Amino acid sequence: MVHSVDIKYYLVLAAVLFCLGMFGVLVRRNALVVFMCVELMLNAANLTFLSFARLNGDATGHVSAFFVIAVAAAEASIGLAIVIAVFRSRGTVNIEEIRTMKH
Amino acid sequence: MDALKSFFMTAPVEPAVFAQSLWLIIALPLLGAFVCGVFGKKLGRANVNFIACAMVAGSFALSVLAFWCVNHAPSGGTPVSMENAFSSSAIRYALGYDYGIWFAAGDFRVNLALLVDHLSGIMLLVITGVGFLIHVYSTSYMEHDESPWRYFAYLNLFIAAMLTLVLADNLVLLFVGWEGVGLASYLLIGFWYTDAAKAWAGRKAFIANRIGDFAFLIGSFLIVLLVGAFNSQASTSNFAPVGINPEAAQVRFREGLAMKGPLTFQGLEVMANSVPASSDKAPNALTLQTPIQAGPLAGRTFGGVLTAALLLFLLGAAGKSAQFPLYVWLPDAMAGPTPVSALIHAATMVTAGVYLFCRMSYLLVLSPTAMLVVASIGAFTALIAALIAFAQDDIKKVLAYSTVSQLGLMFMGVGTGIFWAAVLHLVTHAFFKACLFLGAGSVMHGNGDETDIKKLGGLRQEMTWTWSTFLIATLAITGIAPFSGFFSKDALLHGVHHNHLHGFESASTLLYAVGLVIAACTAFYMTRLYVLTFEGKRSPEAKTEHAHESSGYMTVPLVILAILSVVSLVYALPLMPSRNGPQPVMENFLGPVFASAERIATRGALVSLDHSLPTMADYLIAWVVALVGGGAAAFAYLKYYPSRVGQPAPAFARAVRRFTQNKFYVDEVYTFLIIRPVKNLGVLLFKLVDTMLIDTVLVRGTAWVTARVGGALRYAQTGDAQAYAAVMALALLGGAVYAIIQVLQ
Repeated sequence: MVHSVDIKYYLVLAAVLFCLGMFGVLVRRNALVVFMCVELMLNAANLTFLSFARLNGDATGHVSAFFVIAVAAAEASIGLAIVIAVFRSRGTVNIEEIRTMKH
Repeated sequence: MDALKSFFMTAPVEPAVFAQSLWLIIALPLLGAFVCGVFGKKLGRANVNFIACAMVAGSFALSVLAFWCVNHAPSGGTPVSMENAFSSSAIRYALGYDYGIWFAAGDFRVNLALLVDHLSGIMLLVITGVGFLIHVYSTSYMEHDESPWRYFAYLNLFIAAMLTLVLADNLVLLFVGWEGVGLASYLLIGFWYTDAAKAWAGRKAFIANRIGDFAFLIGSFLIVLLVGAFNSQASTSNFAPVGINPEAAQVRFREGLAMKGPLTFQGLEVMANSVPASSDKAPNALTLQTPIQAGPLAGRTFGGVLTAALLLFLLGAAGKSAQFPLYVWLPDAMAGPTPVSALIHAATMVTAGVYLFCRMSYLLVLSPTAMLVVASIGAFTALIAALIAFAQDDIKKVLAYSTVSQLGLMFMGVGTGIFWAAVLHLVTHAFFKACLFLGAGSVMHGNGDETDIKKLGGLRQEMTWTWSTFLIATLAITGIAPFSGFFSKDALLHGVHHNHLHGFESASTLLYAVGLVIAACTAFYMTRLYVLTFEGKRSPEAKTEHAHESSGYMTVPLVILAILSVVSLVYALPLMPSRNGPQPVMENFLGPVFASAERIATRGALVSLDHSLPTMADYLIAWVVALVGGGAAAFAYLKYYPSRVGQPAPAFARAVRRFTQNKFYVDEVYTFLIIRPVKNLGVLLFKLVDTMLIDTVLVRGTAWVTARVGGALRYAQTGDAQAYAAVMALALLGGAVYAIIQVLQ
């Protein structure tokens, strides 16, 4: 087996990706971008799963990652549908102008 | 004669078989109450009347059968006897059935068990018999009432409760009946609840009874603790009197406790038999002076606790039987329909206290102090009630005070140990007092509900049946020779005179003297009542021109009761053979019930019970006393007062009369001493605790705080998804920081 990369690097990369994603969720105004950032966070999580799976040498982490991808796909389809519906009714996808969670 | 005897002593049903059906005696009137109460409105007047009367009649028939079974002793066969769970000796002349555990908690256990012996047998007959007559009478008396179904439901409920009280074989079941009659009397006294004064009278009765019931409960708890302490401390020598083999007797007693619980009368009887008054004869045994070692009563003596419990029972009995200090409810209870007064306040409920003490006679004779208190309370009550009755003008109030007074006499008898005479007076009093009350009801019925005896008079010709029965009953209660009241009262007073409580020797003579005074007073006020109602001319103030005689439904019960109040004198006649010569029928008859008390009294030498018969001199004294009292009243109200019409009475006489008429201001004293302080305390607590603390601080305070917190938090809800996400992220950050700190440490 070739010299493998230390798990530490994978985790740091995953943490950086997660923080970037979170930053995007918190500060971006465009709902589509926010969605993309959520995907980024999910992928960061996937990265940790996979790295731990490789470390332990079993398939559990891989399976988890597949599940996450499947759920993320489903979420993206519904989320995009919501975004389109919101855009049609309000003419904007700016998150700051959509404060419907108060009601 | 022998054929008659064997007829009466051979029950048609095997006693053991009949015992299983004892519950029916209670269940029938209870069913009647249910049917009348729930479906009565739809059934109609006639059906309700029929159901209510039929249920009590059925109960009466079963009671007769039960009584018959208790006397069962066919020639050559064995007399009826019941296995005793607590000792090896069977209970003679008692019939019972145990329906199993009612409830149990730890060692404490109560069984649902019924028992009929001669005492409860007599009570059964009186309750159902007189009760049935009163039901029949009521059908006519309540003819014009709007809701007879409600009335008859209550009346049946009352009978059922009283039967429970009498049939119970333990104190707890007795208490159920005890409460039941309290409830039913409350409902009946306040029957016409649209009249505020009558509703109040019901409430007064209820509350006065509750005070007594509370004392009864505490007394029962004391008895439970006492039985427990006795069970753990008694030595084998204690059980010598209840079994030939003391060890086996002790084992049996413990088994009995485990099986039937500590409050059964049989268990208490065994315990009373096993506690000697002093350690002279049984040196190692636990005596009345032995201190209790463990438990909440530790350090107190058995005798002391017993006396305390008995005094608490006395307060309970004072509530039910209208004795001082709780008698105030009975005269007010006359607000209820008149048949109710006859039933509750003459024949049944008020006798509960006397019954209770007769039932526990074996405990009572262990405590001369308690006996003396019982007798003194009885004497005091009888005297003041008799004095108050002098100046009452309401026909029912006079009778009510007379009841209180007669019950006081019974308590005197119970307190001095002449139990059988107390029971006899209870029975004869039930007959003639029911007759008097029903007669008063008949008078009211025929005179447009007039109750003031000053506004009646001259009813003799107009209401012949009522007049003749009333006269017989009056003579009976007055104590004129051939009527039952003479014999029962004399037997009672004779016993009071000749029984001695050791340590209080002079009490008997004093009580006897008081008893004679009471007898004279009774004769006076009863004659006054009779004369003013039936003799003389019809008062110009009368509501109706002519009185009319009541219907047959009312007069027939009156006649039966009048006959009963004459023939029941048989019980006082010394017709029965005994070891010391002839014995009164009732004494002989109740012998098995009071045998334990007798034995304990002889053995303990705390009380000496006398069995001599009243002599001619005794009878003569009683007769003269009654004649003097009655004669004085007859003279005063037939000759003296009518001749002085128009002349003003002296100021002194008027003051005395006002004082008596206002019932010695006892109610006012109670109001001042007890009711008003309690009320003020209640108002204070209401204002301080209820209004201020609970309503303002707790209830409204909680709402206020919640509203304020909610108002503050409202600003946090922006509806901005990103703001929420930021909060989540911050929480995540906090969690991460915490985890890192934990890891680094």
